[in-house]
Amino acid sequence: MNPLSLYIHIPFCKQKCNYCDFASYAGKENLIEEYINTVINEIKHLRPTALSTVYIGGGTPSLIAPKYYEKIFKLLSIAPGAELSLEANPGTINQSYLKELKNIGVNRLSLGAQSFNDKHLEILGRIHNAKDIFKSFDDAQAAGFENINLDLIFALPNQTHNDWKEDLKQALSLKPQHLSIYNLQVEEGTKFYNIGDKLPRPTEDEEVAMFEYAIDTLKTAGFHHYEISNFAQPGFECKHNVVYWENGNYLGVGASASSHINGNRFDNPKTIEEYIKLTQLQNKVDLLGHKNQPDQKETIFMGLRLLDGLSKEKFKGYEKEVKELIDDGLLEQKDKIKLTHRGLLLANEVFKLFI
Amino acid sequence: MTQNSINNIRNFSIIAHIDHGKSTLADRLLEVTGTIEKRNMQAQVLDTMDLERERGITIKSQAIKMNYAAQDGNNYELNLIDTPGHVDFTYEVSRSLAACEGALLLVDASQGIEAQTLANAYLAMAHNLTIIPIINKIDLPGAEPEMVTEELETTLGIKKEEIIFTSAKEGRGMGEVLEAIVKRIPPPKGNADDKLQALIFDSRFDAYRGVIVYVRVFNGTIKPEMNIEFMGTRKKFEVQEVGSLKIDLVPSDKLTAGEVGYIIAGVKDVKDARVGDTVADANNRAEYPLPGYKPAKPMVFCGFYPVQGEDFKVLKDAIEKLQLNDAALFYEPETSAALGFGFRCGFLGLLHLEIVQERLEREFNLDLIATAPNVIYKVNMKNGKKIYVDNPTKMPSPADYDSIEEPCMKVTIFTPAEYVGNIMEICQNKRGTFLNMEYLDPKRVMLAYELPLAEVIIEFHDLLKSATRGYASMDYEIIGYQVSDLVKLDILINSEPVDALSCIIHREKAHYIGRALAKKLKKTIPRHMFQVPIQASIGSKVVAREDISAMKKNVLQKCYGGDVSRKKKLLQKQKAGKKRMKRVGRVDVPQEAFLAVLQIEK
Repeated sequence: MNPLSLYIHIPFCKQKCNYCDFASYAGKENLIEEYINTVINEIKHLRPTALSTVYIGGGTPSLIAPKYYEKIFKLLSIAPGAELSLEANPGTINQSYLKELKNIGVNRLSLGAQSFNDKHLEILGRIHNAKDIFKSFDDAQAAGFENINLDLIFALPNQTHNDWKEDLKQALSLKPQHLSIYNLQVEEGTKFYNIGDKLPRPTEDEEVAMFEYAIDTLKTAGFHHYEISNFAQPGFECKHNVVYWENGNYLGVGASASSHINGNRFDNPKTIEEYIKLTQLQNKVDLLGHKNQPDQKETIFMGLRLLDGLSKEKFKGYEKEVKELIDDGLLEQKDKIKLTHRGLLLANEVFKLFI
Repeated sequence: MTQNSINNIRNFSIIAHIDHGKSTLADRLLEVTGTIEKRNMQAQVLDTMDLERERGITIKSQAIKMNYAAQDGNNYELNLIDTPGHVDFTYEVSRSLAACEGALLLVDASQGIEAQTLANAYLAMAHNLTIIPIINKIDLPGAEPEMVTEELETTLGIKKEEIIFTSAKEGRGMGEVLEAIVKRIPPPKGNADDKLQALIFDSRFDAYRGVIVYVRVFNGTIKPEMNIEFMGTRKKFEVQEVGSLKIDLVPSDKLTAGEVGYIIAGVKDVKDARVGDTVADANNRAEYPLPGYKPAKPMVFCGFYPVQGEDFKVLKDAIEKLQLNDAALFYEPETSAALGFGFRCGFLGLLHLEIVQERLEREFNLDLIATAPNVIYKVNMKNGKKIYVDNPTKMPSPADYDSIEEPCMKVTIFTPAEYVGNIMEICQNKRGTFLNMEYLDPKRVMLAYELPLAEVIIEFHDLLKSATRGYASMDYEIIGYQVSDLVKLDILINSEPVDALSCIIHREKAHYIGRALAKKLKKTIPRHMFQVPIQASIGSKVVAREDISAMKKNVLQKCYGGDVSRKKKLLQKQKAGKKRMKRVGRVDVPQEAFLAVLQIEK
């Protein structure tokens, strides 16, 4: 097995956010030790080599002591110049913690800022406030991080267009290398979902306006809008995530982590308890060992998320659909086939034709 | 005695309102006469279609022969010709009655006379049949035989002493009924040596034997190897087999005057052996055919379209097969710009429509789009011609006609007195004209209204039932065409007229219905990537407009490695929903939109 990218999932959180439907659990810190040991076992078994990217996501990876990551990294064979990312939540980290991470090799930090408005952070159920974001960002820079991402969410309950402008202004004042901008989606099984129609969300027109404002503002500030929700200073695009969008090979370890190797997909059990039994490991090894072709539909719908688009050859057999979408102004074809601005807002309508 | 003389034959039918126990009475008679042994008895033997058993109604007429040893020491051949009770099937009733000399008029002892009891009793009287009145279900706790006796006396002029009281369920009174059939119903008239005249009262297609023709012989004799001619269609065939109708077909050497039975003569197409036609001896033709009956006239029309265009062939075969046994079902191919290829079908009434649709979906596994039902209009053109329009799409431009006439009917409603107010309100809203009202007894009222058929076919029956807690019953008869101020309402979706949504409505209601329909469609049709205007127009005048705003955003924001499978499923689900819709121009329209006009609440 020769994967290029590795994802490690850390499903622990201090508190579940009101919008969150990921595999993350509060109040299970007693399982951390056993969980990390299982991750280590899984990695030992899978033996990934020549890793060009490693991404530790969550949950809240910054709840885990650096010594555990050190143990994991020792097992890995990491290629020179590899991108090693870790997600951290403001309010859970300090300068010495970040320094330790930096020392063991983490070179990209993703901060879950979400908003700079304390009221909105509270509504979201976050444990931090705006001050924590500034502090954590400064700490990260002081610890030597030169590639920092901020996550932001817009279209929050009761959020006005001006509130959103202010959030963006604060974020830009920190001069991050990367920004991920998400429209709030109310997913089944979340607290927001249970509130239902009573949740005071902006209208569709307002959401579009917020998204378009962000695109314009970040472009003016020199960011490269390279994926539907992602913006980077040139050269700071997230290499790990680009592997996903190019439908490349990646191995996922930990609860709920997904792998895609040689066209085969495998999802680990979602809960911590199920995962630590590690009963499906042999299935996983067997399945991922098959030689297969990546699914063309997935290659197209993931690939079109990259705003540079995809080469024409990838659309073989879908010429009729491509033409229809170009006629509707949702796709355009230059050297590559890519989403237009309108196609970006209606991307699902585009993707549907390839599913 | 094996050979019956004509004097020992009795042909009769049973007429009753739905649920008054007709099938149970028939079952009991079959049992008592030993036609069927009790242990082989499946409830309601004569209702052979699954649908008939489920809905508790008789759709097709059926005939069966019983042998009965009467108290006078003679053996009799009794032919029971079953008739459907529901108002939609009046035509089937009348053709059954034409083959009989008598009828058992069955009334439920607790319900009393209902709309269809009366309608069918009048029909039997019109055929000069001897009527044997029976009050059934006297075993029920709520039975009021005295009151029902009075009703029969006042409404139909029936003598008290003629009435037989029965409980078919418990088998009480069956002997009396059989004796009355023998004693009161006259034997058939006719001569076995005269020229052959036999009336076709039904026919059925059998995949192995061809068309099985059900006849009542009025004069002459019919035997195998004889050449016969159907006088109406002038088609000639050689008889292969004749016989009587028991639970199965039982071959015999001949059928003679007065008898009821079947003929198999290598007929391939039911249309050749038209119900109501007369069978004659091809080598010795009768001078005149028997008085037949008017062909069934479809009154209610709608379009049937397959949801999947490629199912058209299946639908075509299915309708053809159904029509083999349903002479009243009319169909012709039609093309809708919106729905593609389908059929315009004509029915005797709404129940008939529902049954055909259900049979198509159930027996042939089809997904159908049914357009809203409509009636047939008579249009008086400026050039003096009169044309009939069975599809709103075909209505000529107002500039080309002087007036439109619509079919009207006399609706008779039987109801407990306390609901009269509710019923009058419904009839008023349905453009009804009050005709008269009569108290059958202090608690029960008969109301008569004149109503446009178009108003009755749309939810009238449901409204009536819910306004009277299910107690009212109704019957109707077509009384002819009347000029009415009607207009064609067109619906445009995204500026394109959608023919399948056009309807003909009264001018006074046009604006209201136009607005309501546009609103309803706005709710039913999903958003598209562009704004979709929905307009209701009369001629070139737009009377209502609703806009389905354009979808501005539909994008999954967060999509990483772990999301691929889930998001793919989500997109597949969105796509599947779209596939079940009909694409009209650039707009995807769900099935239920085509019935939106039926769901407009007052």
